[in-house]
Amino acid sequence: MEKVGIVGYNQVKLYSDANYGRYEMIFEAVRGALDMVGLKKKDITTAISCTNDYYEGRTISNCYTVEVGGGYMSDESKVEMDGAYAVLYGLMRILSGNHKLALVWGGSMASCFPYHSTRLYETDPTWERPLAYVNDITAAGFQMRSYMEKFGVSAENIAKIAVKDRKNATKNPLALKESQNPNITIKDVLESEIYADPVTELMVAQPCDGIAALLLAPEKQALKITDNPVWITGVGYSQDAYYLGDRDLSTCKSMELAGKMAFDSAGIRNPREEIDVAELFEAYAHEELIFSEALGLAQKGKGIDIDTNINGDLSINPSGGAIGGNPPCATGLIRIIEAAKQLRGEGNAYQVKGAKKAIASGQIGMCAQNNIVYVLEGSN
Amino acid sequence: MGRQVAIVSAGFSEHASKRSDVSMPELVSEAIEDCLKKVPSISFDNIDAYVNGNMPAFEGANIPELWMTDWMGARNKPLMRVTTGGTTGGSVAIAGYYTVSAGLPGIDTVLAVGFEHQSQGDTSVGLASVAYGEISLYNTLGISYDRLTRIFSAGAAIGVGSYQATNYMRKTKITEEDLARVVVQNRRNAAKTWWAHLKMPNLTIEDVLNTPYLSFPLRYGMVCPASDGACAVLFTTEEKAKDMCDIPVYVNGVASVAHETAVMGYDSSGSGQIDPSEQLGAMKSSELAYSQAGISFPRKEIDYAEVYAPFPNQELMWVEKLGLFEETTAPQMYENGVTALNGELPICCSGGVNSTNAIGASALERPAVSALQIMGKASNQVPKIVHTAIGHGWGGVLNLCTMMVMSDEPQRKWR
Repeated sequence: MEKVGIVGYNQVKLYSDANYGRYEMIFEAVRGALDMVGLKKKDITTAISCTNDYYEGRTISNCYTVEVGGGYMSDESKVEMDGAYAVLYGLMRILSGNHKLALVWGGSMASCFPYHSTRLYETDPTWERPLAYVNDITAAGFQMRSYMEKFGVSAENIAKIAVKDRKNATKNPLALKESQNPNITIKDVLESEIYADPVTELMVAQPCDGIAALLLAPEKQALKITDNPVWITGVGYSQDAYYLGDRDLSTCKSMELAGKMAFDSAGIRNPREEIDVAELFEAYAHEELIFSEALGLAQKGKGIDIDTNINGDLSINPSGGAIGGNPPCATGLIRIIEAAKQLRGEGNAYQVKGAKKAIASGQIGMCAQNNIVYVLEGSN
Repeated sequence: MGRQVAIVSAGFSEHASKRSDVSMPELVSEAIEDCLKKVPSISFDNIDAYVNGNMPAFEGANIPELWMTDWMGARNKPLMRVTTGGTTGGSVAIAGYYTVSAGLPGIDTVLAVGFEHQSQGDTSVGLASVAYGEISLYNTLGISYDRLTRIFSAGAAIGVGSYQATNYMRKTKITEEDLARVVVQNRRNAAKTWWAHLKMPNLTIEDVLNTPYLSFPLRYGMVCPASDGACAVLFTTEEKAKDMCDIPVYVNGVASVAHETAVMGYDSSGSGQIDPSEQLGAMKSSELAYSQAGISFPRKEIDYAEVYAPFPNQELMWVEKLGLFEETTAPQMYENGVTALNGELPICCSGGVNSTNAIGASALERPAVSALQIMGKASNQVPKIVHTAIGHGWGGVLNLCTMMVMSDEPQRKWR
């Protein structure tokens, strides 16, 4: 795969109830990404958006965002998954040679809809939905229990991840205020409200309002636009079976396959050694462990043994990850942006020293049924 | 930089207003089965990736691909979902093209699937939410709820469609007979297409004009049905295509240019006074797609066209806007039989969206039928040899447009 440059990006501050409209928010994100490298609307040749009609509460949710999202009179389309897949489509359009500058944006306002109720519409309408015992939270309960039982991991160990992510989020000025807590303890996490045993409130990535935008360009153009582009050198994505009973929830097959595809195209043989920082979309604290093991960053069941703090052995989610704020349709895109910031040394308080190679992931579906992984490299 | 992409097969499910005999995944699997049947050397194992799309709000299932994984053979395979309203199918086709063209490692053969099981939900309610999203704005302007109900619920798409029709009629000075003539041609063509929905072999212009108005000038007999159906198209690389079928159909140009929101957008950002029959987005899309395909004289070089026209006035308008005929001359062409099955430039010989409209599949069926016409395998095959054909899609609030130009010869791209 030819490498493609990330030349600009922007993310708005995440709020649990943003006091301004989604169209203003989209404009702010897109405008900021263009301003970062001094480009204009007319330079965009293709615009890919990422919203979900259910989350927007509106059919054809992209038709009103044409003007604010930079899509007016440009080759435009919408991916209805996570923002990280919109980046994939932008990447494909660049790789095809048809386009020289792709704008990708994604996000929504979770304050305007009941996120977890809406996700009930992802269940099979014949068997699962009428019973309503499977939704994204109870599914995560099954997943966490399955992981704990299989590998003998305790709930305290998983609470540690939530503590780490929430402490990291404190250093990230764009993270959700509700997620930030410098003094949080394992006890706080375990004693917070039970969502679906053993998942507790503070282990859940809280849905919030936010939009993020990103600019992609082919190698030649990227070097003209900026001195310091971040290169996408590998990408992989895969979808697992639908019914939870058909899957081994203690691991993540689709993440394994996505990681393999991404590492193969980036020429990475030993991810544990070569990757300096990982930004993973963990909708629940235990998913961070499951994903890092599926990606080969740790042995199965041993994810907890690695020091994943900001300047630990392998830094995972230095920005706070999805637990630091989960705006539906933007979270995966924000992971890519955070990984790019690390590679450009823009992490400030949560900068990982000497980060050269990073991975970022996105997901959709119950228990992360479909996953996407990017390998990013800095230009220095 | 970018690979040449080819279509090797396309398949359809049977379309009807209520396919209660199947579930949504089963409907999709029917289309995939029909698609793979035509390329015997290909099984699920040979498909490297999937691209999917439908309009989720019409059936009450969000991201239904997750659910239908095993019905498509997509387990442990890459899958991407694209939805853009009426153009969903066209966007799926374009995404299928880009997935192959990008040349990601291990991805050569891609199955693009568009579907809609409308009888599971209520499409008009789903479409009304397109308009109702601005309800607070309309209230601020002093428009009452009961008037809003009349404006929008009167028929979600038909409300905006009739504005477009009257605008077009004013410019071209056509009559209702001209509209009815388009419908008659489509429904008679549909009668010869095995998967079509409204098959009316003996329909006459009088029959159409004897039906009641829904909203002037559109009558009950002129508008598209709401269908259940699915369509699948197989994309692959130039090299692999030659082994899979006799006549690979090369995709030479794609574009989907968006124009401004044609009704009053947020804070009136889309100018409510825009002429919906102007369609700058469609003109720019076709310009872009033709230039990619190296087509300078669309009127001479294109042999067959499938345009997305739920309403007959749109079919007349699109063929002009896409450069197939001079402005305002399309009605004459339909009268003179130029667009008929054995005419010089046959249009919508499958019966078009006017006869079959499973929304998420419709805009994918346009390039699918065009590709089959080039291969000589279409259900209602035109007698002449088709070298170059187009598949078009329309959606959003009249502001989105997709275009795909296909040919039996690969075109080295401009760049």
